[in-house]
Amino acid sequence: MSIIVVDVKSRIPIYEQIIASVKDSVVSGLMTADEPLPSVRSLAGELAINPNTIQKAYSELERQGIVYSVPGRGSFIASDTASIERQHREKILSDLAALVDEALKSGIDIGEIKSLIENKKEENN
Amino acid sequence: MILIENISKSYGDIKSLTGINAAIGSGSIYGLIGSNGSGKSTLLRIMSGIMRPDSGKVGYDGKLVYENPEVKDTVVYLSDEQYFLSNSTPDEMARLYGSLYSSFSFERYNELLKLFGLDGGRKISTFSKGMKKQTAILLGLSCNPKYLLCDETFDGLDPVMRLLVKRILAEEVATKGLTPVIASHNLREIEDICDHIGLLHEGGILFESEIDTLKSEIHTVQGVFGEDKRAGDIFGDFHVVSENKRGALMTVVVRGERDKIEDAAKAAEPKYFEIIPLTLEEIFISEMEERGYDYSKVVF
Repeated sequence: MSIIVVDVKSRIPIYEQIIASVKDSVVSGLMTADEPLPSVRSLAGELAINPNTIQKAYSELERQGIVYSVPGRGSFIASDTASIERQHREKILSDLAALVDEALKSGIDIGEIKSLIENKKEENN
Repeated sequence: MILIENISKSYGDIKSLTGINAAIGSGSIYGLIGSNGSGKSTLLRIMSGIMRPDSGKVGYDGKLVYENPEVKDTVVYLSDEQYFLSNSTPDEMARLYGSLYSSFSFERYNELLKLFGLDGGRKISTFSKGMKKQTAILLGLSCNPKYLLCDETFDGLDPVMRLLVKRILAEEVATKGLTPVIASHNLREIEDICDHIGLLHEGGILFESEIDTLKSEIHTVQGVFGEDKRAGDIFGDFHVVSENKRGALMTVVVRGERDKIEDAAKAAEPKYFEIIPLTLEEIFISEMEERGYDYSKVVF
């Protein structure tokens, strides 16, 4: 089984799902630097999806600097995964900021938010 | 590359195809969607070179297919109903196909036979409907064609077989650059495997496009934007396909890039909003509405 998963019935375009799936794998540590991605052929066969779509997703990942390709050998996760992880952290923080904005607008007390964060910190320790 | 130019075909008074034009790139998986009687089978028969159109032409890599054995050698047509020699077995049919197609591979045939779990020595007349279909598919694939024309090929196969056939097709496209053209009345059945889709309706191609492009070009925005706001106020820079208000909740279908639509929605300071991609079926419906067709007459 590959760690790239797609839901063909989803409203989200398949190539976007592949891109998101690879990014998630890197962030969660399932895939590490210089690890090979499944070949277009094997992934197409396994997921029963169009190889052109997979190729398109891999090209986009390469454009974004998340993978690199070696002619004749396939695609690999970038050697430097720090930037992917940094991007991910930035996204979480901006999502969080938007949520805090919304919470304050809805009249939730800042103290409540703070104690929620403290509780979560303890849970995760 | 398959080039279909201005194909028309009538059966007596019945106009089946009226000036079809399409270009299908090699290595792409092209889905031909249409309701019953929309002309799918007629188009595939003409594309396979066994039927002469009233006007127009079909070419493969620049060579016309009609009565041209050299081109036909690279094209396999899987008809909706399968024809086998009477009393024949798959092995006998394989020898027939092997004598007709120069690239036929008995090795591939035996491999596929095992994959499908079929007995090559059993009479095809004793096969179930689905097994006959599988036999036709595996014989067709054993010919190692460049182009595979499938007429309702997934119809009548159980879900496991359907997935197997899709997997094999995806692999053949990846490894051999096969170009399948899949005609179906069921959009959902082929939307996962195809990268291009053409919609055939009343003998003409209503529209055709790349699926991923279609999906990323149109979005539904759902949100609470305030009583007096209309879609035109918020999405004035975009093409608003439809808008609908139920209570405070506004639902707008907008054409454009997701990021830009999101910025426009945020700028209107909504209490809440979300952007939802459309399903392919919803996209087809909105495309047809924009072209002034009644989509209720078209079954996906």
